[in-house]
Amino acid sequence: MNHGRWKLYTFLGLGLAFLYLPVLLLIIYSFNESRLVTVWTGFSTQWYRELMQNRQLLEAAWLSVRIAATNATFAVILGTLAANALVRHGRFRGRTGFQLLLTAPLVMPEVITGLSLLLLFVTLEDLVGWPNGRGFTTITIAHITFSMAYVAVVVRSRLSQMDRSLEEAAMDLGARPLRVYLSITLPLIAPALLAGWLLAFTLSLDDLVISSFVAGPGSTTLPMVVYSSVRMGVSPQINALASIVVLIVAVAVCIAGFSLRQRSAGANSPPRA
Amino acid sequence: MANSVERRNLEPWQDPRAMPYVRIDHVTKKFNDIYAVDDVTLDIYQGEFFSLLGSSGCGKSTLLRLMAGLERPTAGRIYIDGMDVTDMPAYSRPVNMMFQSYALFPHMTVEQNVEFGLKQDRLSRQERAERVSDMLTLLQIGELRKRKPDQLSGGQRQRVALARTLAKHPKLLLLDEPLGALDKRLRESAQFELVNLQERIGITFVTVTHDQEEAMTMSTRIAVMDAGRILQVDTPTAIYEYPEYRFVADFIGLVNLFEGRVVENEGDQVVIESTVGRRLRLRDLRPHAIGAPVTVAIRPEKLSICETYQEDGVNQIKGVVEDIAYLGDVSIYRVRVSPAMLVEMTLTNVQPRTEQVLTWGQEVAMEWSPTSGVVLTE
Repeated sequence: MNHGRWKLYTFLGLGLAFLYLPVLLLIIYSFNESRLVTVWTGFSTQWYRELMQNRQLLEAAWLSVRIAATNATFAVILGTLAANALVRHGRFRGRTGFQLLLTAPLVMPEVITGLSLLLLFVTLEDLVGWPNGRGFTTITIAHITFSMAYVAVVVRSRLSQMDRSLEEAAMDLGARPLRVYLSITLPLIAPALLAGWLLAFTLSLDDLVISSFVAGPGSTTLPMVVYSSVRMGVSPQINALASIVVLIVAVAVCIAGFSLRQRSAGANSPPRA
Repeated sequence: MANSVERRNLEPWQDPRAMPYVRIDHVTKKFNDIYAVDDVTLDIYQGEFFSLLGSSGCGKSTLLRLMAGLERPTAGRIYIDGMDVTDMPAYSRPVNMMFQSYALFPHMTVEQNVEFGLKQDRLSRQERAERVSDMLTLLQIGELRKRKPDQLSGGQRQRVALARTLAKHPKLLLLDEPLGALDKRLRESAQFELVNLQERIGITFVTVTHDQEEAMTMSTRIAVMDAGRILQVDTPTAIYEYPEYRFVADFIGLVNLFEGRVVENEGDQVVIESTVGRRLRLRDLRPHAIGAPVTVAIRPEKLSICETYQEDGVNQIKGVVEDIAYLGDVSIYRVRVSPAMLVEMTLTNVQPRTEQVLTWGQEVAMEWSPTSGVVLTE
């Protein structure tokens, strides 16, 4: 192995260590026997067992999953519609404005998004009596506003890569526009939809800032519970919980990445001359 | 094949009583301010193998898409089998199109691809299955039925695309560069196959191509297009031997173009003084004004070596061989006849190359007969 290559691998190793060593330590210490998070005394799964009996944590986790799933579903529907408008409808009036609005949540500081949504919900409640208090609904709506932007980006790139003549061929063979969309377009962008769904799911699952603004009493999400309990002193239960979350997120990201890469060759038919 | 020879000899466009099968009536298509198709009028007859020929961007693909219903004309009407289809959307037209990229649905098997159009027609399951296997047999791709498009070679994809468009028994089949994605060897055999297929099933074909050789081999008639307009519509022979425009003569095959002025009309012949200082005499029935500027087009294979060169000889020219392109069966000699003009002459290589008479730098005189060139006024 020559000198330059050796250096490259060293820096790669350092980079990876910087990113993933803390996570690895967290997972290792979730199997620690000691109550003190920083002192290793022996292997044990007791914190996982205790976690399973912690109603507060489990309820928060269940709420988070429900919010994440609802959010992901709506974000995919709205994000796909937005991507369709941008890719398929040419230069309509207000297109630039729409594009800016759609990408704004990607760059907007979360504190601002959270605060402005809170103000919106409070004003709405005063004016029309909806949403009645804050909780599941408001958190979900808040999450949809930013995660649909991510979905739109993913679906948009897939849509613009797709060979238009596939849809034209379907139409030429007698399929009406709705049928073309259902039996040609949707199956071909399905990997992007799945990736977008998983992305929206994970974004929602670990969101703390926006959720804190728009949550109400009795609607504490998992990151909020974790954050508040860490301030009281870290329990190894949190380590166990975090390890499980890391596992779920890792699996989701892998599936998303894999499904995007898979069949992307199929969408790229030779270009028109 | 006797049958096909018969059909080929029928020339419905010569028959004033014949009804055109496809009628394109003063059709214009504008994209923003650009005329992609500019006031095109065209009749295509039943059973024809019609080619739209032109360089890229000449509007030939747009014209095809107008027939398919994938574009709406800015002006003009389109009739197919006597029916005005101008306002009919693509999915209701009795027309199918084979795309240049073939546009096979990547998430469906060969069988499902072929069946797709039949499903849209709500045919019964049994009827669909029959038609699919008929098509797969017709195109000899039965053993591929369970494959996905990305598991097929270029030639196989082309057959699947054909099967898919033919499965619906269209009144008119449109083919956009049908052989463009195939390699050269495959393309030659595919040309003959396509013609045979068309003769067997009797459906009217309209193809788009930029390959003049392909158009010559396959078509009953060719329309040469340039800048959104149709210049000339004729049989391959007529297009090649009697082009009406400089562009057509230049676009199809090799051609020598002599600029000149009319000197004399002599019965069915016209005498022209060319800018390279030689007199040309050509058969032409039109009376020309004396002094009118004309262009004479002579194909390289119509030239031969002249043994009787005279200083004031008509239809003769002399020069120095500058370049020889050896193509195996023939050689193309590029002869410098004036500082500004090269004349190309094609000679069949009867002798092996080593024994050829002409070589680089050699002076050669060439001649041609009055019937082997055309006088172009435009």
